[in-house]
Amino acid sequence: MLGWLRHHKGVVPYLFLLPGGLWLIVFFVLPLLTTASVALQEGSLASGYRLTFNFGIFPEAIGRWDTQLLRSLQYGLIVTVLAMLIGYPMAYTIAFRGGRYKNILLLLVILPFFTSFIIRTISWKFILADQGFILGTLKEIGILDQGFRLLATPIAVISGITYNFLPFVVLPLYVALERIDPRLIEAATDLYASRFQAFLRVTLPLSISGVFAASLLSFIPAVGDYLNAELLGSRNETMIGNVIQRLFLVNRDYPEAAALSLILMAGILVSIFFYSRLLRGQELTI
Amino acid sequence: MNTMKARAGRSRVFAAVGVSMALVLGACGIGPGDSNDASPGATGGGGQPVGGGEPSGVLNFTNWPLYIDDDGEGNRPTIDQFEEETGIDVTYSEAIQDNSSFFGTIQPQLEAGRDPGHDIIVVTDWMIGNMIELGYLEQIDVERDIPNFGANAADKYKDRSYDPGNLYSVPWQSGITGIGYNPALVDEEITSLAQLFDPEFIQKYCGQIGMFSEMRDVISLALLYNGVTPEDATIEDVEAAQAILLEQAECVRGYYGNEYADDFANGSLAITMAWSGDVFQLQLDNPDLQFVVPDEGGILWTDNMAIPKGAEHPDDALAMMDFVYRPEIAAQVAEWVNYITPVPGAQEIVSQHADEAEADGDTETAEYLRAVAESPLVFPTDEMLSRLYSYKVLNEDEERQWAELFQRVTQG
Amino acid sequence: MARTTPAPERGRPFGERFRRSLLPVFTALVVAYLSLPILVMILFGFNDIQGRFNFAWQGFTLEHWGNVFSRFPALNQALINSLTVAVVATTVATILGTLIGLALTRYEFRGRGPLNLLIFLPIATPEIVLGASLLALFVSVAAPLGMATIIIAHIMFNISFVVVTVRARIAGFDRHLEEAAMDLGADEWTTFRKVTLPLIFPGIMAAALLAFALSIDDFVITQFTAGAQTLTFPLWVYGASRIGVPPQVNVMGTIIFLVALVGIVLWLYLQRRDVTARPTSLNE
Repeated sequence: MLGWLRHHKGVVPYLFLLPGGLWLIVFFVLPLLTTASVALQEGSLASGYRLTFNFGIFPEAIGRWDTQLLRSLQYGLIVTVLAMLIGYPMAYTIAFRGGRYKNILLLLVILPFFTSFIIRTISWKFILADQGFILGTLKEIGILDQGFRLLATPIAVISGITYNFLPFVVLPLYVALERIDPRLIEAATDLYASRFQAFLRVTLPLSISGVFAASLLSFIPAVGDYLNAELLGSRNETMIGNVIQRLFLVNRDYPEAAALSLILMAGILVSIFFYSRLLRGQELTI
Repeated sequence: MNTMKARAGRSRVFAAVGVSMALVLGACGIGPGDSNDASPGATGGGGQPVGGGEPSGVLNFTNWPLYIDDDGEGNRPTIDQFEEETGIDVTYSEAIQDNSSFFGTIQPQLEAGRDPGHDIIVVTDWMIGNMIELGYLEQIDVERDIPNFGANAADKYKDRSYDPGNLYSVPWQSGITGIGYNPALVDEEITSLAQLFDPEFIQKYCGQIGMFSEMRDVISLALLYNGVTPEDATIEDVEAAQAILLEQAECVRGYYGNEYADDFANGSLAITMAWSGDVFQLQLDNPDLQFVVPDEGGILWTDNMAIPKGAEHPDDALAMMDFVYRPEIAAQVAEWVNYITPVPGAQEIVSQHADEAEADGDTETAEYLRAVAESPLVFPTDEMLSRLYSYKVLNEDEERQWAELFQRVTQG
Repeated sequence: MARTTPAPERGRPFGERFRRSLLPVFTALVVAYLSLPILVMILFGFNDIQGRFNFAWQGFTLEHWGNVFSRFPALNQALINSLTVAVVATTVATILGTLIGLALTRYEFRGRGPLNLLIFLPIATPEIVLGASLLALFVSVAAPLGMATIIIAHIMFNISFVVVTVRARIAGFDRHLEEAAMDLGADEWTTFRKVTLPLIFPGIMAAALLAFALSIDDFVITQFTAGAQTLTFPLWVYGASRIGVPPQVNVMGTIIFLVALVGIVLWLYLQRRDVTARPTSLNE
């Protein structure tokens, strides 16, 4: 077997791809196509659905939910930048200064997510409640206005999503940074006058694969997120994920839900495409 | 250049394969296979009720978590007693998280005519209406198989508009949708829906008003505010209600599911739509919190037991439904769940249990049981009940229109 | 890495010391921020609630710790189910995803474009669409819903996260090390085991951690694929929130937290003994 493989090297990548690829095709692509095709059907549960090639649903859905679509992309972008600003220094510290505690630090980053999101949200609501021990106290001593609140604002939703996706930024950044030989950085510091320049010219380029992975793993799920807007936001923070959720479960408008999902996915893929062009030269580009 | 072209060509092929695959698979997607005659259609009045036979000895009872009595040590006395008495082996599952997603998860199975794995499900009245319309429930004969229902249920819980004649369902527990408020944040007594909807009044509490995300609850209250009985509402009435809701929206903190209780408890909400059973629980921690049925009226909603189409053990299901309509069993459930039981006779039994606990020297339990027996939130007074309305039963068109109007309110 | 840590801090000027401590302090602050809800969760496991809601502090009790595993038997089963699903799904998804990551970064082959699409799409698909689509598939082939279908679904959505994370490690990976090993006479399997695997191992571990966290907390997709009799921890807790999430849930969360923490500390301790007993490995 191994001997045969040695003579047919071209087969190896396909063997590697086979199990995972098949899994995705059978349990993702096929069912997704089924559901997606509902976008082009018309009807209802009681009267049944007919395929009518109603392509008009796409512009209609965009027209109806353009605010929420744009808001989701916008939130996704803000979250990605924020998570990167917080996550990069963390990953850097863990990778280069973590020493023996690297693994325990990584675990601490991910551990909060081993508990149910309901419990986490209840906890946040306790901490940030309008009359809670933080805001309530600040209001009492007059630092904050009585009407001030953090929950049910864009700040709450964006920080909620950032919080949720921080590990998705720290971990890939860490694995890319940890690979870099610190001696390279030392050499660079000797060459360039400032540490910051050394960082820009050496560390950052060497960790770009991590930056790319981290931004994808935060941007893609953040754009489609619905839980944070649902639990921490008001109607003015509604994201496209919330609309799809409601169309699907409550309104049972399957065609529009499917159409909006496809629009969302297309929007995300287009963004990734341009982003990967931006970071061209990486072997990660699509 | 060349590779670019080749790539474009490949992705076109890929897309084409995708579309044709979609066409092939489209027929077996979500939604009824209209070619399938065996699939459940609206049964109307022509169906035959299930039951009338011998129990098989097995029952799969699916309910919401924590929605049945429990002795504090991991046992469920009602289920245990039923098993002991009938010899039926009950698998009690807490697999229902909310009406809409539960429907989403069993709908494909019901449509395909497969055994859904549940013999009894517990869902809210409007969902019962939906499922009846879609032919997803088995017909039952309450007179023959659930005699305790006729004997012990209050009239208010019989023959409701979502299931006239109780042909498909019997109530499990009920609750009231009304207004809750926090006197620490509100310096006047709240009695009217105007104090929830009037734009001038709510300015004072802007950002501290809570509403529900449950369409029927919210629209029904807005209809009542406009002086319209929810069950008689026309689409014009609902449009007028939407206008009220949109005007109110800027001051609404959020359109909540169950998590409103959290914000209500921690002082983020001053005035909120509320469910009676929740406020009863919250009062045990914070006795100041108030619940009112507004002058204009509130909503009496009901979670019902029903047998999904194709369930394997209908006779066992009917035996359980009859069992929980015994007053002593209903009392046992009410003592723990604290929602509204359809069996008014349970109130006296809860009081007796309080007396017994007192006699045993267990004052803590006695106090708690007395609070349950005396609370109008668990055993509403006749005056309260007279001000309660039901949801309108919606046909498919209405449902879609309402949903679209309402989605604009909650999601902008 | 420890080798390159420079001279003792004492000898440095204050400005330097201050600057060097900025990053660790920042990291500590972020970790504290991440753990804030955990502290509240732990605290409310001791809350002596009067009603059924666990929102406001009512006083201290150990009651919920005493009956954490006997009070709600359904919750025990749900927790066991969740852990089983997470362990199995993480293991399988990590293996499948790592293989794809290796293929993508180390081999030339046709079809990278569609493959990349195949990797990104599952992350971009709204969960509800993933769940409903899978349910339609399972129903159409009459597959009984339960643990198996949940695990299938979790592996599916975890693969992409693993691929992206592992790839961040392998990209730009120095092939010369492998070639050197082969030149020294190691066969491909040995090279993989002794050179490649240790080099990419941190990536695999990070990917597995992510997958585990995703899996153990998943709600929407699990809801659609769980069927009538199988509950997971998040499903039970979400359903219970209608009536009030009992403090025993907080206690269980606390126990998971503590077990994981103790586990890692033990592992750290063993690893340290290991390191002192052996010459520094390539990875250090």
